Amino acid sequence: MFKKILIANRGEIAVRILRACRELGIRSVAVFSEVDRKSLHVRLADEAYAIGPAPSRESYLRIDKLMDVARKAGCDAVHPGYGFLAENPALPRACSEAGVTFIGPPEEAMEALGSKTAGRQLARRVEVPTVPGTNDPTEEPQARALAQSIGYPVLLKAVAGGGGKGMRLVYSDAEFESAFRDAASEAMNAFGDGRLYLEKYLDRPRHIEIQILADAHGRVVSLGERECSVQRRHQKVIEEAPSPIVTPELRRKMSEAAVRLARAGGYVNAGTVEFLVDQNLNFYFLEVNTRLQVEHPVTEQVTGLDLVKLQIAIAAGHRLPFAWESITPRGHAMEVRLYAEDPENNFFPSPGKILSRHVPSGAGIRLDEGVYEGWTVPNDYDPLLSKLVAWGNSREETIARLRRTLDEYTITGIRTNAGLFRRILTEPEFLRGEIHTRWLDELLRRPRAAASAPQPSAVDDSKEAAAIAAAIWQAKQSAAQAPGPSSDREGASRWKLEGRREQLDRTP
Amino acid sequence: MKYEVRISGKTQMVELERRADGWQARIEGESGTTADVAEIAPNVFSVLLSGRSHEVYVTPSAGGQLQLQTSGLEFLAEVIDSRSWRGRRHGGAEAEGRQQITAPMPGKVVRLLVKAGDTVEAGQGLLVVEAMKMQNEIRSPKSGKVERVLVAEGQAVNAGEVLCVVG
Repeated sequence: MFKKILIANRGEIAVRILRACRELGIRSVAVFSEVDRKSLHVRLADEAYAIGPAPSRESYLRIDKLMDVARKAGCDAVHPGYGFLAENPALPRACSEAGVTFIGPPEEAMEALGSKTAGRQLARRVEVPTVPGTNDPTEEPQARALAQSIGYPVLLKAVAGGGGKGMRLVYSDAEFESAFRDAASEAMNAFGDGRLYLEKYLDRPRHIEIQILADAHGRVVSLGERECSVQRRHQKVIEEAPSPIVTPELRRKMSEAAVRLARAGGYVNAGTVEFLVDQNLNFYFLEVNTRLQVEHPVTEQVTGLDLVKLQIAIAAGHRLPFAWESITPRGHAMEVRLYAEDPENNFFPSPGKILSRHVPSGAGIRLDEGVYEGWTVPNDYDPLLSKLVAWGNSREETIARLRRTLDEYTITGIRTNAGLFRRILTEPEFLRGEIHTRWLDELLRRPRAAASAPQPSAVDDSKEAAAIAAAIWQAKQSAAQAPGPSSDREGASRWKLEGRREQLDRTP
Repeated sequence: MKYEVRISGKTQMVELERRADGWQARIEGESGTTADVAEIAPNVFSVLLSGRSHEVYVTPSAGGQLQLQTSGLEFLAEVIDSRSWRGRRHGGAEAEGRQQITAPMPGKVVRLLVKAGDTVEAGQGLLVVEAMKMQNEIRSPKSGKVERVLVAEGQAVNAGEVLCVVG
């Protein structure tokens, strides 16, 4: 087993990985950019080293600096997390040159499956169905001709992409040119690779993915599916396992397809095979994510497995048990992604200092996060704050737990999208499991239905409580600002001190 | 002490009395609700409103307003001290017809889509600002003419900074 692991990431996933290391008795080494000196992953790691300025291209994406830290700190393995370099074959290559183990698939498997176009070519060879579109990166005039031939709407996607970046939905020929330019430029900025491909856009498809694990000895197992159909602008915001529509039969068929594809690509370690599922339960291969997913906790909650520890064990050459070839989910788990973004301002990122917060806990709740009170959310990275995961015996119990948890969750100083989840989790369609990848975008364009709005009497009560708190806050403020020795029996100097302290603590 | 609180379009008079470990509050008017209030942490108040338990987080925000969060609900309030009638300032009103387009958050201008003198439709893209790896198009709130563009491509901007003016 490894002695020391370099975590080439930041935020909640770096914290998630170092916790697994700690439980395994492996030392963890964090890296941080200039704006992350006070981040939670740095505070919790056994060792931490600076790797440069805030922009990720000068820090978290610098393989040379990471290898330097790995060598100097004496690491024997590197965990890439997700995002940043996690799907860049140059990292496993650099690792093998430096003589450290990369915790993830081999470089060749990453190339065979990780690139969306290569993955689709391989899928077609092993008879896994795919969505109509190009196999190869394509240039503007050819792409447009193809869009015309397969018919609008079409989806432009970054070859190197993920997380909705460098992706554009195009409804007509007139929009094509500008959409192509924007997507290419966004892809170039996010991944350093502006190449695009395109595919046909299906009608109200569901996004369902299969989590696989493959050891280095030829065993490939499926841990079942996650449904990630609730998306805003192609970004997943809620994930759950199992899917409300997947039958044991469909699970078996999708699992077999995922395992077949992983074998064909020589895959090792944890990976996810993403599919679109249409209204008739036909499934189409979308892409392989050759890494740990953001939403891996929902699979952990319904299987009882720790995927990060398994990634480490697989990288160390351990075998997967035979019995896992027929694993079935127990209970239901659901994750919401809390982002520092302002729902009232078109979900713009809302970085800033976290002034105070109340973190929920209790039965059936798990919180994976990389933030704390007093920390400033930097402007330079993905604004994911916390992943709130609930599990229960049934989908209904899980949703009730998430709703309860979101009522307890409070954060001040920055804006979050928590209100969006409070709304989604009361929408009748969501409760019935009638969702698809465009469901949330459509919901947000509709006025809020009365059924999902909070009770007016509860709002009035809360409003009165809020009014009282506002008055008291002002009373304290006025007392603190009163000039000279005051006749206030409470003692002006202490009020004043308190007021000054509070003002200093505040960010503009 | 009496305070006038303007909250979500409603005005409420709140009477406060300091107690040893908190406050006693009363809302004037037909409800006449009384509340027992304790400060849990700076800017966090536990309010027992006729026994019903609420926790309220107070954050001062732009324009002298207070942002109040409780049980997943959010309100904006303005408080006027009835002794001094020296209220908190209102946010400045927008000049009629003429709109200043400001950056909704810190970021970088990656592309200008219009120039001074251009005629724009409401909803038309004016410029693209990149923040946290996402490119966001800033759209015109109204139809009119672009009077000035105050930023250049590649320029870093702060939240609230004026980007351009549409008349």
